[in-house]
Amino acid sequence: MKRLRYFIRRTIMSMIQSPLLNGATIGTITVALMLLAFFTLIVLNVQNITRQWSRDIQITVYLEQVPSTTKLEQWQQEIENHPMVENVTYVTQDQAFERFRTRLGQNDDLLDGLLPEILPASFELSLAQEARSEHGAETLVQDLKKNPAFSNFRYGQDWLKRYDAFMFLLKLTGTLAGGFLIFATLFVISNTIKLTIYARRDELEIMSLIGATPMFIKIPFLAEGALQGITGALLALGGCHALYYFFLKKGLSALLTTTAASNISFLPLSVQLGVILLGLLLGVTGSMLPLRKFVRI
Amino acid sequence: MNMIQMCKIAKIYPNGAPALHDIDLKIPAGEFVYITGSSGAGKSTLLRLLYCADRPTRGQILMGKRNITRLNARNVAFLRRQIGFVFQDFKLLLNRTVLENVALPLHVQGVSTEETRTRAFELLQYVGLEYKMQRKPLELSGGEQQRVAIARAMIVRPKLLLADEPTGNLDSSLALEIMGMFSRINKEGTTVLVATHDQELTHQTPHRVIALENGHVVSDSRPEANTESIEPQEAH
Repeated sequence: MKRLRYFIRRTIMSMIQSPLLNGATIGTITVALMLLAFFTLIVLNVQNITRQWSRDIQITVYLEQVPSTTKLEQWQQEIENHPMVENVTYVTQDQAFERFRTRLGQNDDLLDGLLPEILPASFELSLAQEARSEHGAETLVQDLKKNPAFSNFRYGQDWLKRYDAFMFLLKLTGTLAGGFLIFATLFVISNTIKLTIYARRDELEIMSLIGATPMFIKIPFLAEGALQGITGALLALGGCHALYYFFLKKGLSALLTTTAASNISFLPLSVQLGVILLGLLLGVTGSMLPLRKFVRI
Repeated sequence: MNMIQMCKIAKIYPNGAPALHDIDLKIPAGEFVYITGSSGAGKSTLLRLLYCADRPTRGQILMGKRNITRLNARNVAFLRRQIGFVFQDFKLLLNRTVLENVALPLHVQGVSTEETRTRAFELLQYVGLEYKMQRKPLELSGGEQQRVAIARAMIVRPKLLLADEPTGNLDSSLALEIMGMFSRINKEGTTVLVATHDQELTHQTPHRVIALENGHVVSDSRPEANTESIEPQEAH
Protein backbone atom coordinates (compact mmCIF):
# COMPACT_ATOMS: atom_id res chain seq x y z
CA MET A 1 0.00 0.00 0.00
CA LYS A 2 2.88 2.32 0.93
CA ARG A 3 4.57 1.41 -2.34
CA LEU A 4 1.37 2.11 -4.27
CA ARG A 5 1.08 5.53 -2.65
CA TYR A 6 4.72 6.21 -3.54
CA PHE A 7 4.16 5.21 -7.19
CA ILE A 8 1.03 7.36 -7.54
CA ARG A 9 2.70 10.35 -5.87
CA ARG A 10 5.87 9.86 -7.92
CA THR A 11 3.92 9.62 -11.19
CA ILE A 12 1.94 12.79 -10.53
CA MET A 13 4.96 14.69 -9.20
CA SER A 14 7.06 13.68 -12.16
CA MET A 15 4.38 14.93 -14.56
CA ILE A 16 4.19 18.23 -12.69
CA GLN A 17 7.97 18.58 -12.39
CA SER A 18 8.60 18.12 -16.11
CA PRO A 19 5.76 20.13 -17.66
CA LEU A 20 7.56 20.68 -20.95
CA LEU A 21 8.41 17.03 -21.63
CA ASN A 22 5.03 15.96 -20.37
CA GLY A 23 3.22 18.55 -22.48
CA ALA A 24 5.19 17.58 -25.59
CA THR A 25 4.33 13.91 -25.14
CA ILE A 26 0.64 14.52 -24.47
CA GLY A 27 0.52 17.02 -27.36
CA THR A 28 2.04 14.53 -29.78
CA ILE A 29 -0.32 11.77 -28.67
CA THR A 30 -3.26 14.16 -28.98
CA VAL A 31 -2.44 15.32 -32.50
CA ALA A 32 -1.58 11.84 -33.77
CA LEU A 33 -4.67 10.21 -32.28
CA MET A 34 -6.89 13.11 -33.38
CA LEU A 35 -5.83 12.61 -36.99
CA LEU A 36 -6.47 8.89 -36.69
CA ALA A 37 -9.84 9.40 -34.99
CA PHE A 38 -10.94 12.00 -37.54
CA PHE A 39 -9.90 9.74 -40.40
CA THR A 40 -11.91 6.89 -38.82
CA LEU A 41 -14.86 9.26 -38.45
CA ILE A 42 -14.79 10.10 -42.15
CA VAL A 43 -14.37 6.48 -43.23
CA LEU A 44 -17.25 5.32 -41.02
CA ASN A 45 -19.52 8.06 -42.33
CA VAL A 46 -18.64 7.39 -45.96
CA GLN A 47 -19.34 3.70 -45.32
CA ASN A 48 -22.65 4.66 -43.79
CA ILE A 49 -23.60 6.79 -46.80
CA THR A 50 -22.61 4.11 -49.32
CA ARG A 51 -24.58 1.57 -47.31
CA GLN A 52 -27.62 3.81 -47.76
CA TRP A 53 -26.92 4.06 -51.48
CA SER A 54 -26.64 0.30 -51.77
CA ARG A 55 -30.18 -0.08 -50.44
CA ASP A 56 -31.31 1.35 -53.80
CA ILE A 57 -29.82 -1.56 -55.71
CA GLN A 58 -32.84 -3.40 -57.02
CA ILE A 59 -33.55 -6.15 -59.53
CA THR A 60 -36.77 -6.04 -61.49
CA VAL A 61 -37.94 -9.40 -62.85
CA TYR A 62 -40.50 -9.02 -65.66
CA LEU A 63 -42.99 -11.83 -66.13
CA GLU A 64 -44.02 -13.21 -69.52
CA GLN A 65 -47.58 -13.66 -68.38
CA VAL A 66 -49.60 -12.73 -65.37
CA PRO A 67 -49.36 -15.78 -63.09
CA SER A 68 -52.18 -17.47 -61.29
CA THR A 69 -52.54 -16.70 -57.61
CA THR A 70 -51.05 -20.09 -56.66
CA LYS A 71 -48.09 -19.65 -58.98
CA LEU A 72 -47.58 -16.09 -57.81
CA GLU A 73 -47.46 -17.13 -54.16
CA GLN A 74 -45.13 -20.03 -54.96
CA TRP A 75 -42.68 -17.85 -56.90
CA GLN A 76 -42.80 -15.08 -54.38
CA GLN A 77 -42.01 -17.62 -51.65
CA GLU A 78 -39.14 -19.07 -53.70
CA ILE A 79 -37.64 -15.65 -54.30
CA GLU A 80 -38.07 -14.60 -50.69
CA ASN A 81 -36.29 -17.74 -49.51
CA HIS A 82 -33.24 -16.97 -51.64
CA PRO A 83 -30.41 -15.95 -49.28
CA MET A 84 -29.36 -13.04 -51.50
CA VAL A 85 -32.79 -11.44 -51.40
CA GLU A 86 -33.79 -9.07 -48.64
CA ASN A 87 -37.27 -8.23 -49.80
CA VAL A 88 -39.59 -8.94 -52.77
CA THR A 89 -42.62 -7.00 -53.98
CA TYR A 90 -45.03 -8.02 -56.70
CA VAL A 91 -46.02 -5.16 -59.04
CA THR A 92 -49.23 -5.80 -60.94
CA GLN A 93 -49.82 -4.49 -64.46
CA ASP A 94 -52.23 -1.90 -63.04
CA GLN A 95 -49.69 -0.66 -60.54
CA ALA A 96 -47.02 -0.46 -63.24
CA PHE A 97 -49.37 1.46 -65.50
CA GLU A 98 -50.23 3.88 -62.69
CA ARG A 99 -46.56 4.47 -61.92
CA PHE A 100 -45.87 5.12 -65.59
CA ARG A 101 -48.68 7.63 -65.69
CA THR A 102 -47.29 9.41 -62.64
CA ARG A 103 -43.83 9.57 -64.18
CA LEU A 104 -45.13 11.07 -67.38
CA GLY A 105 -46.55 13.91 -65.32
CA GLN A 106 -48.11 16.52 -67.60
CA ASN A 107 -47.69 14.23 -70.62
CA ASP A 108 -49.86 11.48 -69.13
CA ASP A 109 -52.39 12.02 -71.87
CA LEU A 110 -50.03 9.96 -74.03
CA LEU A 111 -51.47 6.92 -72.27
CA ASP A 112 -55.03 7.76 -73.14
CA GLY A 113 -56.67 4.89 -74.93
CA LEU A 114 -54.06 2.38 -73.74
CA LEU A 115 -54.73 -0.48 -71.34
CA PRO A 116 -52.54 -1.55 -68.38
CA GLU A 117 -51.97 -4.89 -70.16
CA ILE A 118 -49.35 -3.23 -72.38
CA LEU A 119 -46.97 -3.35 -69.40
CA PRO A 120 -45.73 -6.61 -67.86
CA ALA A 121 -46.25 -7.58 -64.23
CA SER A 122 -43.01 -7.80 -62.30
CA PHE A 123 -41.23 -8.70 -59.09
CA GLU A 124 -39.07 -6.00 -57.49
CA LEU A 125 -36.24 -7.46 -55.43
CA SER A 126 -34.08 -5.62 -52.98
CA LEU A 127 -30.76 -7.31 -52.27
CA ALA A 128 -29.33 -8.58 -49.02
CA GLN A 129 -26.33 -6.56 -47.74
CA GLU A 130 -23.70 -9.07 -48.92
CA ALA A 131 -25.21 -9.32 -52.43
CA ARG A 132 -25.14 -5.60 -53.13
CA SER A 133 -22.57 -5.66 -55.94
CA GLU A 134 -22.48 -6.36 -59.65
CA HIS A 135 -21.31 -9.89 -59.03
CA GLY A 136 -24.05 -10.45 -56.43
CA ALA A 137 -26.77 -9.13 -58.69
CA GLU A 138 -25.55 -11.26 -61.63
CA THR A 139 -25.39 -14.41 -59.51
CA LEU A 140 -28.94 -13.84 -58.34
CA VAL A 141 -30.14 -13.19 -61.89
CA GLN A 142 -28.52 -16.44 -63.06
CA ASP A 143 -30.42 -18.31 -60.35
CA LEU A 144 -33.70 -16.60 -61.27
CA LYS A 145 -33.23 -17.36 -64.96
CA LYS A 146 -33.82 -21.04 -64.16
CA ASN A 147 -37.51 -20.14 -64.09
CA PRO A 148 -38.60 -19.77 -67.77
CA ALA A 149 -41.52 -17.50 -66.75
CA PHE A 150 -39.02 -14.81 -65.76
CA SER A 151 -38.37 -13.28 -69.13
CA ASN A 152 -36.44 -10.12 -68.58
CA PHE A 153 -34.28 -8.59 -65.87
CA ARG A 154 -33.25 -5.05 -65.11
CA TYR A 155 -30.75 -4.18 -62.41
CA GLY A 156 -28.87 -1.04 -63.46
CA GLN A 157 -25.70 -2.81 -64.62
CA ASP A 158 -23.85 0.41 -65.44
CA TRP A 159 -24.67 1.96 -62.08
CA LEU A 160 -23.54 -1.20 -60.29
CA LYS A 161 -20.25 -1.18 -62.18
CA ARG A 162 -19.59 2.39 -61.04
CA TYR A 163 -20.70 1.55 -57.50
CA ASP A 164 -18.32 -1.42 -57.38
CA ALA A 165 -15.43 0.67 -58.70
CA PHE A 166 -16.17 3.40 -56.15
CA MET A 167 -16.35 0.90 -53.31
CA PHE A 168 -13.05 -0.68 -54.40
CA LEU A 169 -11.37 2.72 -54.51
CA LEU A 170 -12.82 3.64 -51.14
CA LYS A 171 -11.59 0.43 -49.51
CA LEU A 172 -8.16 0.77 -51.12
CA THR A 173 -7.79 4.39 -50.05
CA GLY A 174 -9.10 3.61 -46.58
CA THR A 175 -6.73 0.68 -46.09
CA LEU A 176 -3.67 2.48 -47.46
CA ALA A 177 -4.30 5.80 -45.74
CA GLY A 178 -5.46 4.12 -42.54
CA GLY A 179 -2.45 1.78 -42.49
CA PHE A 180 -0.09 4.64 -43.13
CA LEU A 181 -1.76 6.77 -40.47
CA ILE A 182 -1.62 3.99 -37.87
CA PHE A 183 2.05 3.37 -38.67
CA ALA A 184 2.84 7.11 -38.51
CA THR A 185 0.93 7.42 -35.20
CA LEU A 186 2.84 4.51 -33.66
CA PHE A 187 6.14 5.83 -34.98
CA VAL A 188 5.66 9.42 -33.81
CA ILE A 189 4.28 8.52 -30.38
CA SER A 190 6.85 5.83 -29.58
CA ASN A 191 9.70 8.11 -30.66
CA THR A 192 8.41 11.05 -28.62
CA ILE A 193 8.14 8.87 -25.52
CA LYS A 194 11.58 7.43 -26.27
CA LEU A 195 13.03 10.94 -26.41
CA THR A 196 11.37 11.98 -23.15
CA ILE A 197 12.74 8.89 -21.44
CA TYR A 198 16.13 9.51 -23.00
CA ALA A 199 16.04 13.03 -21.54
CA ARG A 200 15.52 11.45 -18.12
CA ARG A 201 18.10 8.68 -18.45
CA ASP A 202 20.15 10.25 -15.62
CA GLU A 203 17.23 9.69 -13.30
CA LEU A 204 17.05 6.05 -14.39
CA GLU A 205 20.79 5.64 -13.78
CA ILE A 206 20.66 7.28 -10.35
CA MET A 207 17.68 5.19 -9.29
CA SER A 208 19.48 2.00 -10.27
CA LEU A 209 22.67 3.11 -8.47
CA ILE A 210 20.90 3.63 -5.17
CA GLY A 211 19.47 0.12 -5.27
CA ALA A 212 16.06 0.48 -6.87
CA THR A 213 14.93 -2.77 -8.47
CA PRO A 214 14.14 -2.63 -12.21
CA MET A 215 10.39 -2.83 -11.54
CA PHE A 216 10.57 -0.06 -8.94
CA ILE A 217 12.24 2.18 -11.53
CA LYS A 218 9.94 1.24 -14.37
CA ILE A 219 6.51 1.37 -12.71
CA PRO A 220 6.27 5.20 -12.33
CA PHE A 221 7.45 5.64 -15.93
CA LEU A 222 4.91 3.11 -17.21
CA ALA A 223 2.15 4.72 -15.15
CA GLU A 224 3.19 8.10 -16.51
CA GLY A 225 3.07 6.70 -20.07
CA ALA A 226 -0.40 5.28 -19.41
CA LEU A 227 -1.65 8.60 -18.00
CA GLN A 228 -0.16 10.52 -20.89
CA GLY A 229 -1.73 8.08 -23.35
CA ILE A 230 -5.19 8.32 -21.77
CA THR A 231 -4.99 12.13 -21.45
CA GLY A 232 -3.81 12.43 -25.06
CA ALA A 233 -6.62 10.14 -26.25
CA LEU A 234 -9.29 12.10 -24.35
CA LEU A 235 -7.98 15.39 -25.74
CA ALA A 236 -7.85 13.82 -29.21
CA LEU A 237 -11.51 12.78 -28.93
CA GLY A 238 -12.39 16.30 -27.75
CA GLY A 239 -10.49 17.82 -30.69
CA CYS A 240 -12.04 15.36 -33.09
CA HIS A 241 -15.50 16.23 -31.78
CA ALA A 242 -14.75 19.94 -32.26
CA LEU A 243 -13.65 19.26 -35.86
CA TYR A 244 -16.75 17.14 -36.43
CA TYR A 245 -19.06 19.75 -34.98
CA PHE A 246 -17.65 22.89 -36.60
CA PHE A 247 -16.35 21.45 -39.86
CA LEU A 248 -18.65 18.59 -40.76
CA LYS A 249 -21.88 19.35 -38.94
CA LYS A 250 -22.05 23.15 -39.05
CA GLY A 251 -19.79 23.84 -42.04
CA LEU A 252 -21.23 21.21 -44.38
CA SER A 253 -24.86 21.96 -43.52
CA ALA A 254 -24.23 25.58 -44.37
CA LEU A 255 -22.56 24.57 -47.61
CA LEU A 256 -24.92 21.82 -48.74
CA THR A 257 -28.64 22.24 -49.08
CA THR A 258 -29.22 18.50 -48.94
CA THR A 259 -29.85 16.54 -45.79
CA ALA A 260 -26.57 14.66 -46.28
CA ALA A 261 -24.86 16.66 -43.52
CA SER A 262 -27.53 15.76 -40.99
CA ASN A 263 -26.80 12.05 -41.54
CA ILE A 264 -23.16 12.51 -40.49
CA SER A 265 -22.64 11.11 -37.03
CA PHE A 266 -19.78 11.18 -34.49
CA LEU A 267 -17.68 8.13 -33.65
CA PRO A 268 -19.70 5.36 -31.97
CA LEU A 269 -18.95 4.70 -28.29
CA SER A 270 -17.04 1.50 -29.08
CA VAL A 271 -14.64 3.41 -31.36
CA GLN A 272 -14.22 6.15 -28.75
CA LEU A 273 -13.32 3.53 -26.16
CA GLY A 274 -10.98 1.99 -28.75
CA VAL A 275 -9.17 5.33 -29.16
CA ILE A 276 -8.74 5.62 -25.37
CA LEU A 277 -7.48 2.04 -25.19
CA LEU A 278 -5.09 2.71 -28.06
CA GLY A 279 -3.77 5.79 -26.23
CA LEU A 280 -3.26 3.72 -23.09
CA LEU A 281 -1.49 0.92 -24.96
CA LEU A 282 0.71 3.34 -26.91
CA GLY A 283 1.65 5.16 -23.71
CA VAL A 284 2.57 1.96 -21.87
CA THR A 285 4.35 0.12 -24.70
CA GLY A 286 5.99 3.32 -25.90
CA SER A 287 7.52 3.69 -22.44
CA MET A 288 8.29 0.01 -21.97
CA LEU A 289 10.52 -0.36 -25.03
CA PRO A 290 13.03 2.44 -24.27
CA LEU A 291 12.95 1.52 -20.55
CA ARG A 292 14.14 -1.96 -21.45
CA LYS A 293 17.10 -0.35 -23.09
CA PHE A 294 17.92 2.25 -20.45
CA VAL A 295 17.18 0.33 -17.25
CA ARG A 296 20.10 -2.02 -17.47
CA ILE A 297 21.68 -2.82 -14.22
CA MET B 1 37.98 -10.12 7.16
CA ASN B 2 38.21 -8.90 3.58
CA MET B 3 35.53 -6.54 2.35
CA ILE B 4 36.61 -7.01 -1.26
CA GLN B 5 38.58 -9.79 -2.84
CA MET B 6 39.35 -9.86 -6.55
CA CYS B 7 40.83 -12.98 -8.13
CA LYS B 8 42.38 -12.84 -11.59
CA ILE B 9 39.94 -10.19 -12.77
CA ALA B 10 40.07 -9.22 -16.43
CA LYS B 11 37.72 -6.95 -18.30
CA ILE B 12 37.59 -6.66 -22.05
CA TYR B 13 34.86 -4.42 -23.48
CA PRO B 14 32.65 -5.71 -26.32
CA ASN B 15 34.56 -3.58 -28.83
CA GLY B 16 37.68 -5.58 -27.91
CA ALA B 17 39.32 -2.86 -25.81
CA PRO B 18 41.01 -4.42 -22.78
CA ALA B 19 40.46 -2.41 -19.57
CA LEU B 20 41.78 -4.64 -16.79
CA HIS B 21 44.23 -7.54 -16.73
CA ASP B 22 44.62 -10.20 -14.06
CA ILE B 23 43.81 -8.04 -11.09
CA ASP B 24 44.31 -9.68 -7.68
CA LEU B 25 43.30 -7.50 -4.76
CA LYS B 26 42.33 -7.83 -1.14
CA ILE B 27 40.79 -4.91 0.67
CA PRO B 28 40.08 -5.55 4.35
CA ALA B 29 36.90 -4.23 5.93
CA GLY B 30 37.30 -0.73 7.36
CA GLU B 31 40.22 0.23 5.11
CA PHE B 32 40.60 3.49 3.16
CA VAL B 33 42.06 2.89 -0.27
CA TYR B 34 42.93 5.15 -3.17
CA ILE B 35 42.81 3.71 -6.69
CA THR B 36 45.05 5.95 -8.72
CA GLY B 37 46.22 6.14 -12.29
CA SER B 38 46.01 8.34 -15.31
CA SER B 39 42.95 8.62 -17.48
CA GLY B 40 42.18 5.24 -19.09
CA ALA B 41 44.19 3.27 -16.52
CA GLY B 42 41.11 1.27 -15.51
CA LYS B 43 40.08 2.99 -12.23
CA SER B 44 36.46 3.57 -13.16
CA THR B 45 36.17 0.10 -14.72
CA LEU B 46 37.39 -1.40 -11.46
CA LEU B 47 34.74 0.50 -9.51
CA ARG B 48 32.05 -0.39 -12.09
CA LEU B 49 32.83 -4.06 -11.53
CA LEU B 50 32.41 -3.56 -7.78
CA TYR B 51 28.95 -2.11 -8.11
CA CYS B 52 28.05 -4.58 -10.87
CA ALA B 53 27.51 -1.98 -13.61
CA ASP B 54 29.78 -4.26 -15.65
CA ARG B 55 30.67 -7.90 -15.38
CA PRO B 56 34.26 -9.11 -15.49
CA THR B 57 35.28 -11.04 -18.57
CA ARG B 58 37.28 -13.40 -16.37
CA GLY B 59 37.83 -13.90 -12.66
CA GLN B 60 35.78 -13.69 -9.50
CA ILE B 61 34.89 -10.88 -7.11
CA LEU B 62 33.91 -11.56 -3.52
CA MET B 63 32.25 -8.88 -1.43
CA GLY B 64 32.34 -10.13 2.11
CA LYS B 65 31.65 -13.82 1.57
CA ARG B 66 29.40 -13.23 -1.41
CA ASN B 67 30.45 -13.81 -5.00
CA ILE B 68 29.08 -10.83 -6.91
CA THR B 69 30.39 -11.80 -10.34
CA ARG B 70 27.12 -13.12 -11.78
CA LEU B 71 24.26 -11.54 -9.88
CA ASN B 72 20.88 -11.01 -11.53
CA ALA B 73 19.36 -7.52 -11.80
CA ARG B 74 17.30 -7.85 -8.64
CA ASN B 75 20.22 -9.04 -6.53
CA VAL B 76 22.41 -6.29 -7.97
CA ALA B 77 19.82 -3.81 -6.68
CA PHE B 78 19.93 -5.38 -3.21
CA LEU B 79 23.73 -5.38 -3.23
CA ARG B 80 23.80 -1.67 -4.08
CA ARG B 81 21.66 -0.89 -1.06
CA GLN B 82 24.72 -1.73 1.04
CA ILE B 83 27.05 0.51 -0.98
CA GLY B 84 27.32 4.29 -0.99
CA PHE B 85 28.26 6.06 -4.22
CA VAL B 86 29.88 9.42 -4.83
CA PHE B 87 30.70 10.57 -8.37
CA GLN B 88 32.53 13.46 -9.95
CA ASP B 89 29.28 14.74 -11.52
CA PHE B 90 27.36 14.27 -8.20
CA LYS B 91 24.48 12.40 -9.90
CA LEU B 92 21.75 14.26 -8.07
CA LEU B 93 18.18 14.51 -9.29
CA LEU B 94 17.92 18.13 -10.32
CA ASN B 95 14.14 18.37 -10.09
CA ARG B 96 14.05 17.27 -6.45
CA THR B 97 15.06 19.08 -3.30
CA VAL B 98 18.24 18.40 -1.37
CA LEU B 99 16.23 16.58 1.31
CA GLU B 100 14.44 14.42 -1.27
CA ASN B 101 17.76 13.55 -2.91
CA VAL B 102 19.28 12.46 0.39
CA ALA B 103 16.16 10.51 1.34
CA LEU B 104 15.89 8.71 -2.01
CA PRO B 105 17.80 5.49 -1.11
CA LEU B 106 15.57 4.90 1.93
CA HIS B 107 12.42 5.60 -0.13
CA VAL B 108 13.57 2.93 -2.54
CA GLN B 109 13.99 0.50 0.34
CA GLY B 110 10.46 1.19 1.56
CA VAL B 111 11.50 2.78 4.89
CA SER B 112 8.72 4.86 6.48
CA THR B 113 8.50 8.51 5.47
CA GLU B 114 8.99 9.71 9.03
CA GLU B 115 12.12 7.66 9.61
CA THR B 116 13.43 8.62 6.19
CA ARG B 117 12.99 12.35 6.85
CA THR B 118 14.59 12.13 10.30
CA ARG B 119 17.59 10.22 8.99
CA ALA B 120 17.95 12.50 5.94
CA PHE B 121 17.92 15.54 8.22
CA GLU B 122 20.57 13.97 10.47
CA LEU B 123 22.78 13.30 7.46
CA LEU B 124 22.31 16.85 6.19
CA GLN B 125 23.40 18.07 9.62
CA TYR B 126 26.38 15.71 9.35
CA VAL B 127 27.51 17.39 6.13
CA GLY B 128 26.43 20.84 7.36
CA LEU B 129 23.66 21.50 4.84
CA GLU B 130 20.50 21.13 6.91
CA TYR B 131 19.65 24.80 6.35
CA LYS B 132 19.55 24.22 2.56
CA MET B 133 17.39 21.12 2.59
CA GLN B 134 14.56 22.67 0.57
CA ARG B 135 16.86 23.95 -2.17
CA LYS B 136 17.26 22.28 -5.56
CA PRO B 137 20.77 20.95 -6.38
CA LEU B 138 21.48 23.60 -9.01
CA GLU B 139 21.02 26.31 -6.37
CA LEU B 140 24.05 24.90 -4.52
CA SER B 141 27.78 25.23 -5.20
CA GLY B 142 29.79 22.26 -6.50
CA GLY B 143 31.18 21.51 -3.04
CA GLU B 144 27.72 21.63 -1.50
CA GLN B 145 26.33 19.32 -4.19
CA GLN B 146 29.09 16.84 -3.45
CA ARG B 147 28.26 17.03 0.27
CA VAL B 148 24.62 16.25 -0.60
CA ALA B 149 25.85 13.27 -2.61
CA ILE B 150 27.89 12.11 0.40
CA ALA B 151 24.88 12.49 2.69
CA ARG B 152 22.83 10.42 0.23
CA ALA B 153 25.56 7.78 0.13
CA MET B 154 25.70 7.61 3.94
CA ILE B 155 21.97 7.42 4.59
CA VAL B 156 21.94 3.65 4.05
CA ARG B 157 24.79 3.19 6.59
CA PRO B 158 26.88 1.51 3.87
CA LYS B 159 29.55 -1.05 4.53
CA LEU B 160 31.39 0.23 1.49
CA LEU B 161 31.69 3.72 0.01
CA LEU B 162 32.79 3.98 -3.62
CA ALA B 163 33.88 7.37 -4.91
CA ASP B 164 34.87 7.93 -8.54
CA GLU B 165 36.90 11.16 -8.92
CA PRO B 166 34.82 12.79 -6.16
CA THR B 167 36.94 15.95 -6.18
CA GLY B 168 37.36 16.22 -9.94
CA ASN B 169 35.01 19.20 -10.19
CA LEU B 170 36.15 20.95 -7.01
CA ASP B 171 38.99 23.32 -6.13
CA SER B 172 41.78 22.11 -3.85
CA SER B 173 40.38 23.45 -0.57
CA LEU B 174 36.96 21.93 -1.23
CA ALA B 175 38.68 18.72 -2.31
CA LEU B 176 40.46 18.56 1.06
CA GLU B 177 37.21 19.20 2.86
CA ILE B 178 35.53 16.33 1.00
CA MET B 179 38.49 14.02 1.67
CA GLY B 180 38.28 14.95 5.34
CA MET B 181 34.67 13.90 5.28
CA PHE B 182 35.61 10.55 3.71
CA SER B 183 38.26 10.01 6.41
CA ARG B 184 35.64 10.69 9.08
CA ILE B 185 33.26 8.21 7.46
CA ASN B 186 36.09 5.66 7.29
CA LYS B 187 36.89 6.11 10.98
CA GLU B 188 33.27 5.26 11.74
CA GLY B 189 33.87 1.85 10.20
CA THR B 190 32.95 2.17 6.51
CA THR B 191 35.37 0.80 3.94
CA VAL B 192 36.17 3.63 1.51
CA LEU B 193 37.48 3.28 -2.05
CA VAL B 194 38.34 6.50 -3.84
CA ALA B 195 39.35 6.47 -7.50
CA THR B 196 41.38 9.56 -8.34
CA HIS B 197 44.03 10.75 -10.74
CA ASP B 198 45.04 13.51 -8.28
CA GLN B 199 48.39 12.39 -6.78
CA GLU B 200 48.52 15.44 -4.53
CA LEU B 201 45.35 14.36 -2.80
CA THR B 202 46.85 11.00 -1.86
CA HIS B 203 49.75 12.82 -0.22
CA GLN B 204 47.59 15.33 1.63
CA THR B 205 45.29 12.66 3.06
CA PRO B 206 47.52 9.60 3.08
CA HIS B 207 46.04 6.11 2.93
CA ARG B 208 46.71 2.89 1.05
CA VAL B 209 47.27 3.58 -2.66
CA ILE B 210 46.70 1.05 -5.43
CA ALA B 211 48.09 2.42 -8.68
CA LEU B 212 46.82 1.22 -12.02
CA GLU B 213 48.43 1.59 -15.41
CA ASN B 214 46.95 0.25 -18.63
CA GLY B 215 44.72 -2.06 -16.65
CA HIS B 216 47.51 -3.50 -14.49
CA VAL B 217 48.21 -2.96 -10.81
CA VAL B 218 51.67 -1.39 -10.84
CA SER B 219 51.98 -0.60 -7.15
CA ASP B 220 50.14 -1.13 -3.89
CA SER B 221 51.47 0.95 -1.01
CA ARG B 222 50.49 1.97 2.51
CA PRO B 223 51.72 5.21 4.04
CA GLU B 224 53.42 3.58 7.02
CA ALA B 225 54.98 0.62 5.22
CA ASN B 226 56.06 1.61 1.72
CA THR B 227 55.42 -0.61 -1.25
CA GLU B 228 53.72 -3.86 -0.33
CA SER B 229 55.05 -7.01 -1.86
CA ILE B 230 53.21 -7.41 -5.09
CA GLU B 231 54.43 -9.49 -7.95
CA PRO B 232 55.61 -7.14 -10.67
CA GLN B 233 53.43 -7.76 -13.68
CA GLU B 234 54.79 -8.22 -17.12
CA ALA B 235 54.63 -5.22 -19.35
CA HIS B 236 51.97 -5.64 -22.01
